Amino acid sequence: MKTLVIGLGNPILTDDGVGVKVAYQIQEDLCSVPHPDIDITEASVGGLHLMETMIGYDQVFIIDAIILEHQPQPGKVQRMAIDDLRNLSPTQHSASAHDTTLVTALDMAKRIGLSIPTKIVIYAIEVENVLEFSETTTSEVSKSIPFVAQKIIDELAIDYNLSIS
Amino acid sequence: MKRITIDPITRLEGHGKIEIFLNEEGEVANAYLQIPELRGFEQFCIGRPAEEMPRITNRICGVCPEAHHMAATKALDALFHVEPPSVTKKLRELFYSAFYVTDHTVHFYALGGPDFILGPDSPAAERNILGVIHKVGVEIGKKVINTRKRNHHVIQMLGGRGIHPVAGLPGGWSKAMTKEERDEIEGYAKENVEFALFSLQLFEDIVLANKAYVDLILSDAFTHKTYYMGTVDKNNQINFYDGMIRVVGPDGKEFVKYHPEDYAKHIAEHVEPWSYLKFPYLKDIGWKGFVDGKDSGVYCATPLSRLNASDGMATPKAQEFYEKFYETLGSKKINGRYQPVHYRLATHWARLIELLYAAERMLELVQDPEITDPNVRAPITEKPDEGIGGVEAPRGTLTHHYATDENGILTKVNLIVGTTNNYAPISMSIKKAAQGLIKKGTIISDGLLNMIEMAFRNYDPCMSCATHSLPGQMPLEVVIRNVDGNEIERLSQFIN
Repeated sequence: MKTLVIGLGNPILTDDGVGVKVAYQIQEDLCSVPHPDIDITEASVGGLHLMETMIGYDQVFIIDAIILEHQPQPGKVQRMAIDDLRNLSPTQHSASAHDTTLVTALDMAKRIGLSIPTKIVIYAIEVENVLEFSETTTSEVSKSIPFVAQKIIDELAIDYNLSIS
Repeated sequence: MKRITIDPITRLEGHGKIEIFLNEEGEVANAYLQIPELRGFEQFCIGRPAEEMPRITNRICGVCPEAHHMAATKALDALFHVEPPSVTKKLRELFYSAFYVTDHTVHFYALGGPDFILGPDSPAAERNILGVIHKVGVEIGKKVINTRKRNHHVIQMLGGRGIHPVAGLPGGWSKAMTKEERDEIEGYAKENVEFALFSLQLFEDIVLANKAYVDLILSDAFTHKTYYMGTVDKNNQINFYDGMIRVVGPDGKEFVKYHPEDYAKHIAEHVEPWSYLKFPYLKDIGWKGFVDGKDSGVYCATPLSRLNASDGMATPKAQEFYEKFYETLGSKKINGRYQPVHYRLATHWARLIELLYAAERMLELVQDPEITDPNVRAPITEKPDEGIGGVEAPRGTLTHHYATDENGILTKVNLIVGTTNNYAPISMSIKKAAQGLIKKGTIISDGLLNMIEMAFRNYDPCMSCATHSLPGQMPLEVVIRNVDGNEIERLSQFIN
């Protein structure tokens, strides 16, 4: 079984890069454990490119930043499945003209018979500041990084029978 | 004044928000696209070594890192006063052409094209790449994915990394091309040419053969007569990587041609109280508001603009389509040049002609005997001070301007990004689309979002670096406000 762990975001845009930082953390934590079937990467791309990155993998973990409109709780972590993303997109009209959603891209992949993962897990971390250039995440968001990294490692440890000290 | 807001309500508050202001009579007075300001970029860069800029600026945007990488690399050439070897320029342009092929492909098939392929009146949920596959067939989806795949592979091979390239150096490119790579890329370039020709045929079959679509393209609702900007080579033909910036008037006459480093002499920026983003305009004409015409400094920098600003395409097949484009759309030749086409929806066709040019140019470059020359770096012998680099990004002319101390540490950074050039015309196009559906206070809700989407989508505006974010797309919502600015209606099309 091939697994891809992908941290999404812009690592120089304050909290936007939290997903990338989680991916770095997982990479560091697993550096002494052989994990030939687990690839860990980062990306800052739209739905189509993201879907293309997943081709050939059996399962994918995505870590990304999210801002919710009501009662924001920076640092709060949600574990979601791909269908949850459908519910997050409130309208079919897009203000971003140069992107397609991951959901649309995955539907397309299925339609044309591409080998996409059967399991896609999304860890969404609520963030605060995504409009300012900085390499440092805000404090509440920073606290979530080791937490999410450990959650994903725990899932991987079960799948691959990894022994992590 | 009444106010209508088309508002995204998800991840980034205020992201890509559209506001429409009504006058006392209930007619559209003005319409604006608001793009959030990303703060502190200059401060982030100052104090860092300038040679980091190609790797920092390619992080600004998840859509066109290659364009920023290239503009930054060229700015470093100027900053360090170093002329890259001839092979290096060709490698960079080859890399950049592969990027253009992927970028224009995704826009036509996944974003702009579905409006036509599915039809402007089709449900929004179907006007996407899935709808295209449904209508045209599964094979088309495979062609799109394969085109992106082979060109991403080229970008990775030449740029050192798949998503954020790292190969650009002042006066150089970090790796030469092997003969094996050349052979592989040559095959890909040939496939790209075939794919571009296929796409242009599809456009003819589906769009040009349909009178209703042609009428829509030619309609006043999607027409603006502005100045047009584009980069041209010594023959005044389009070049994406290098050349002079040429601006032509709405009448097609050359208004000015200047070196990218002189941008500040020709371009000024207008400030509006409601927007963080500034509106570039032609300095010598002046800012006269969001209006068309020769006396307004508003200019446009898109695929359509580049065609209008040039005398033609530098590759043979693209030139054939360039001529067909102007002949079909009723443009007359004056003094050997076609008059500009002002129909904004024709930008989609222009983009496909550019796709063909990029593919042909890629093939020319990879077949150049010099392309595998290992001498890809020129030595740096001078102290850095100030440098400006420009390229044509898919979404408009992109300029990077850096200044450093004598150790190459950045002291000043200024960027004019592609979409910014088109900020005023995008607002004008949104206004015109809204005018068609809002009369005397009566708002035709059905279709307003569709029309506005079509109006701004042809510019392919890039909402910067949050494009990857959950849920991956910025939704639109229309908020209609009364004369006091209070909300009276909210329009959106919810999935659930």
